[in-house]
Amino acid sequence: MLLSLAENYIVELLRALNERFVEEIKVGDIGEGIKEAISSHEFAGIDISGFHFSITHTVISMWLAMILIAALAFWMSRRFEEIPRGRQIISEGFVDLMMNLCKGQHMTEDQAYKVAPFVGSMGVFICISNCFSVFKISPPSKDPVFPITLALFTIVYVIFTGIRLVGIKGFWKSLTYPKAALLPFRVLDYFIKPISLSLRLFGNIFGAFILMEFIYIIVPFIVPGVLGIWFDLADGILQGAVFAYLSVVYIGEIIEGAHSKA
Amino acid sequence: MELGFIAIGAALAIGIAAACAAIGIGIASAKAFEATARQPEMAGKIQQLLFTAIVFIEATAIYALVVSLLLIFVFK
Repeated sequence: MLLSLAENYIVELLRALNERFVEEIKVGDIGEGIKEAISSHEFAGIDISGFHFSITHTVISMWLAMILIAALAFWMSRRFEEIPRGRQIISEGFVDLMMNLCKGQHMTEDQAYKVAPFVGSMGVFICISNCFSVFKISPPSKDPVFPITLALFTIVYVIFTGIRLVGIKGFWKSLTYPKAALLPFRVLDYFIKPISLSLRLFGNIFGAFILMEFIYIIVPFIVPGVLGIWFDLADGILQGAVFAYLSVVYIGEIIEGAHSKA
Repeated sequence: MELGFIAIGAALAIGIAAACAAIGIGIASAKAFEATARQPEMAGKIQQLLFTAIVFIEATAIYALVVSLLLIFVFK
């Protein structure tokens, strides 16, 4: 009795799925749906002396992430006690993690203290803004503008921090340390690094976003929720962590080169 | 251009790059596991190096993904 009921239910479900796949969804619909999802709508624009600043989905989700992080930072750093408990353990643990990451890359305590705040906030910003796609808010990284901006910003920060930590002489030494002939490649490296950083972030998030849109269109129940845990949450957080880790590695390279004996 | 050629081009781009990146990551992790088995006290350092290497290898596959997405959504 119960078995036949279950069988009936499964047959009904399969028939509904079949209808959805074969009769309702056509290839053109999927293409249109994905194109609709990846196009950026402009809500408003401001013209300031010839430049057009447009406010798109990207900017809105960025502001959302900024508000969220500001609120989180405010809440996490209230009323510290001598013996940490509750949310203080999380915030202290995060600061400790960033400091250890920096110290693992040839930095002293003092240098790590200068680098950790920027790298940590960059990582948290990317992680949180990537996780937005779980709630069907388009993540800012799906627009190439966002990763490119962050990568250019980061590479400028890396160069200036390198000079600040080891001095202009040390930076020059890091560019030329085994042989002076390596200089052009080292300089070229500073142009390749931002491209690599931005394309890695953009490609990962954009690919995952298109895949998730595709799954939302063809199977709009249960499956997107399960797959979203990996493609939206895990991948997004991983990419944020990789971005922060790589910027620390780049600064660590400069310090290692400056202190090398050659 | 014809749509079919673009589709084949995009599929080849991501397919070959993903296969090569998978082989690369496989070799890197195999060597890392060997090294860890030989010198278990260096496990932390090896893991960090492996992580860095995998990030750079994976980047090549991501470039191919970007190229094939460009082929699909831009050149048609």
